Amino acid sequence: MISMHFPGRMFEIHPLDEHARTSRLGKLDARAKLIGVMSFVVACALLTRIDLVFASLIVAMAFAAAGAVPVRHTLRLYLGALPFILLASLSLFLFVGFEKGVAMWARTSACLLALIILASGTETFELFSGLRRLRVPSIITTLLMLTHKYIGLLTDELSRMTVARRARGFQGGRSLLDRYALKVISYTAGMVLVRSSERADNAYEGLKSRGFEKEMIGWRTRRIAARETAFMAGMLAVSILLLAVQMELIR
Amino acid sequence: MHVPDGLMDPVVAAAGWIEFLTFLAVAIFLSRSKTKERNLPRVAILSAGIFVAQMLNFPIGGGTTGHLIGAALFAIMVGPALAIIGMTIVLLIQALMFGDGGVTALGLNAVNMAIIAPLTGWGAYTLIDPLLNGHGRTGRGISVAIAAWASVFVAAAACAGELLVSYAISAGDYGIAANVSVPAMLGYHAVIGLGEAAITVGLVSYLRAISPELFSSAEAGTALKIPVKWLTSSTAKAAAVILTVFALMIPLYIIYASEGRDGLEQTMEEAETEEGSSLLASPFSYGETYLQVLLAGILGFLVVCLAALAIMRLLSSPERRNDPE
Repeated sequence: MISMHFPGRMFEIHPLDEHARTSRLGKLDARAKLIGVMSFVVACALLTRIDLVFASLIVAMAFAAAGAVPVRHTLRLYLGALPFILLASLSLFLFVGFEKGVAMWARTSACLLALIILASGTETFELFSGLRRLRVPSIITTLLMLTHKYIGLLTDELSRMTVARRARGFQGGRSLLDRYALKVISYTAGMVLVRSSERADNAYEGLKSRGFEKEMIGWRTRRIAARETAFMAGMLAVSILLLAVQMELIR
Repeated sequence: MHVPDGLMDPVVAAAGWIEFLTFLAVAIFLSRSKTKERNLPRVAILSAGIFVAQMLNFPIGGGTTGHLIGAALFAIMVGPALAIIGMTIVLLIQALMFGDGGVTALGLNAVNMAIIAPLTGWGAYTLIDPLLNGHGRTGRGISVAIAAWASVFVAAAACAGELLVSYAISAGDYGIAANVSVPAMLGYHAVIGLGEAAITVGLVSYLRAISPELFSSAEAGTALKIPVKWLTSSTAKAAAVILTVFALMIPLYIIYASEGRDGLEQTMEEAETEEGSSLLASPFSYGETYLQVLLAGILGFLVVCLAALAIMRLLSSPERRNDPE
């Protein structure tokens, strides 16, 4: 076990976690958020009726509003996944009909939105720690935590190299036929990998000196309090209700 | 290629999760000696390296860019079992940090990018590299390029297959129709694969020159310890891996077949035509019962294997054939 985690520490390394600090969800226990959001996403993925799909989208938007993650950040991540969603929605729109195309867009957007808010509204390290407490095998969670830690270091390395490359006049290349550009890019990636592997041994010694033994879990333990129970119960109730109506158990 | 939640039919997504968990468990078992405490940071740092390498965009043309997937590179560096674990970690981080690729779709995303892509890359590299061994750096470059391109293309083909099966069995609630998904996925990734191939070739030749010890674990043959005697040669292992990739698609076919009629029969019925006499007579009939079809399939597979072996023997350099070793 390693005691490396305390509030605020990871923010210096991972600017991506910055919204976890301001988000209202940041204060909730990761386990409650994981169970709540995942049950909602699974239920959403099973919905096909257009009214229910829109209901789930409204729930996801309400969840996003409650989470108070900046809209710009949410939109940026949403736009990243949009091409695939649009391809699917447009193809259904053209080949099956308007309703199914719109349902596809709303369903995938609801799932994506909920997941983005979960990802942005929680410190990544805490999310992994929550997964471990939910009995995900330690080999996976420990690898997730270590990889996450190194990604921060390597991203810095890459950004320094990108600046250096640009300073030497590299523009990023024009097309796949630009052999020079492809060579520079592959050497940059190669350099990142070489530097990363050089650090592996030092990193191991560093971890060992801080008491690393097989597993890496945060020491900050929290009890599932009333608000966590309420959050989980709310999300589970919405998910079950949506599914029950979809399966016509409730009319 | 990150499929979001709600796009695939739940049955297909569930099949993906079952395959993913099975393969992950097998990969963890096979690489248990490599994922001991001391090696964990090494695996993690390589996964982080691949994650960061994925951030590098390469130009495709017309102002568009693509990015590396890195599954073939990972598998060539550390062997298939560790590559499956490492790529799974990369996908999990993308899903949990950016919401990129979903929860219900994670199984399918992992099957495509963390299982099929590295297995295809490693299998193709292991099969082709010995054939081009006598041709120095160019030969090695060609085998790496084919492996990288194939890993992207086959993964995209699997994704297209999942999309069209989802569409077919859900009557248009999920997935993407075959006439959009197949050309879109295959066409786009055939081009992206070229970039992946060029970057991977550059990367592998650079890493071999600068830091050859990065490849040691895969080449020492310790990366894939299989407790079966006849699977000791690398060719047999690679063939088994390629067959596994095909086997991964069988559940998809079963789901598809169980929900509908044979595609050819359906098309013929719609066009109101009947099967005429064939242009070329085959020496074996497909037969009517399941066992006859299976037998014909196995015979066909053996014939193709023998033909491939004959071609491989013809292609391998004369010095190697005369080598008493």
